[in-house]
Amino acid sequence: MNIKDKIGFCDEENFSNFFRSNSKLLHNYIFYKCGNIELANDIVQDAFLKFWINCEKIITEKATSYLFTIATNLFLNEYSKSKTSSNFKNTLSVNYTNETPEFLLEEKQFHAKLTNAISSLSEAQRTAFLMHRIDGKKYKEIAENLGISVKAVEKRIHNALLNLRKEIENI
Amino acid sequence: MEEKYFLAKWLNNEITEEELKKHVSEEEIRLYKKIISASDMLETPEFDLEEALSEIKKLHEKTNVKKLTTIKYFYKVAAVLALIVTSYYFISNKNTNYTTQLAEKISFELPDNSSVNLNADSEIKFKPNKWENKRELHLKGEAFFSVKKGSKFTVKTNLGDVSVLGTKFNVVARDHFFEVFCYEGVVSATYQNKTIKIPAGTSFKALNSSSAFNPSIEEKIPSWLQNKSSFKSLPFKYVIKEFERQYNIKITYDKEFDTILFTGNFTHKGLEIALQAISVPLNLNYTIINEGNVSLHP
Repeated sequence: MNIKDKIGFCDEENFSNFFRSNSKLLHNYIFYKCGNIELANDIVQDAFLKFWINCEKIITEKATSYLFTIATNLFLNEYSKSKTSSNFKNTLSVNYTNETPEFLLEEKQFHAKLTNAISSLSEAQRTAFLMHRIDGKKYKEIAENLGISVKAVEKRIHNALLNLRKEIENI
Repeated sequence: MEEKYFLAKWLNNEITEEELKKHVSEEEIRLYKKIISASDMLETPEFDLEEALSEIKKLHEKTNVKKLTTIKYFYKVAAVLALIVTSYYFISNKNTNYTTQLAEKISFELPDNSSVNLNADSEIKFKPNKWENKRELHLKGEAFFSVKKGSKFTVKTNLGDVSVLGTKFNVVARDHFFEVFCYEGVVSATYQNKTIKIPAGTSFKALNSSSAFNPSIEEKIPSWLQNKSSFKSLPFKYVIKEFERQYNIKITYDKEFDTILFTGNFTHKGLEIALQAISVPLNLNYTIINEGNVSLHP
């Protein structure tokens, strides 16, 4: 990589493009961890700001994982202070496309169960599972962003599904 | 090989439903499918991307401004310090300069009351602050010094240095011509790394590579202080240059006369008499072309 790659993110236009393609995912990622929208907003802001300030040190290939590392560290600092319990009942909404009344009722009940079950998942399982389902990220991409192996992602997703089923059956 | 994370593999289409059935019941698969399709309908809270971006840009600008002001502040401090240091340096090392124009002579006193007469087109530079510790000055051109007794007094020139303890002497350092006249006491001159003692009533003259002592000076002060320029066996070129300096004119003449040795003098008080004084001995005539130009010709 040459110098141009490194200073690329300092340029406002380049930074803006990087922000537009990664901020929603980062926002979701923090949200999956804690279910707190305000905290997600704050961390996205702080993380990108820190990213921009350190733009000169950033290598293009590592940019996204660097961003996620900053955000994760910020989250660990902030979240330990805030002590908010993660509850996704009111924050994870559902996009209903098939709106027949009977269907709706059943769907609504099931979604309530689902969000409940999602809330009870471990932070790691929930994050990996939702990044896959909601953000449509591949295992490999999730692994890169979180700085873990693809095997670890598979394990988290497998256990997430397993736990979600058990939780829903128990209700 | 037994697949540990079969659910993840199935979700990623890496194993078929048939393969999955080895691990889980059909009932469970049905529920998994429901969970997956319901999950896919989930939506995360809205995130106003552009607003967040503009907020970050604002914050970034502030941090940049902060950085900039720190840098500016640093430069301000640095600039002030630099100013203090340099001004101290200049004050303590400040040179006093005396210069004369063409056709101008001046006299002045040094901090120790030694007097200096400066001939035309000459310059003297010294540091008054350091004068008490070091009587030293730089000379370009010609000057007559009447030095009060005291510590070593040094005249530095591009051609050589002249040191005395207290005496009257004249120094010329022009182009390649170096001459020291001693009128009183003893003068020591350093020329081409050799130190020469010049007693009263003698002079030392060096022109290019040749140097010579000339004994017996009758006058008590240099002729130029009596408003005339005297020469003894000096190439005509230097006589012309001195003439041009004294009268602020330009003389055109045949360059073949440059090396002719001239002995004699010219006055500083009248151009025509002076021109006669330098032209007649060489069988030349002169023509005053205009105010600033004279030509010498056969």
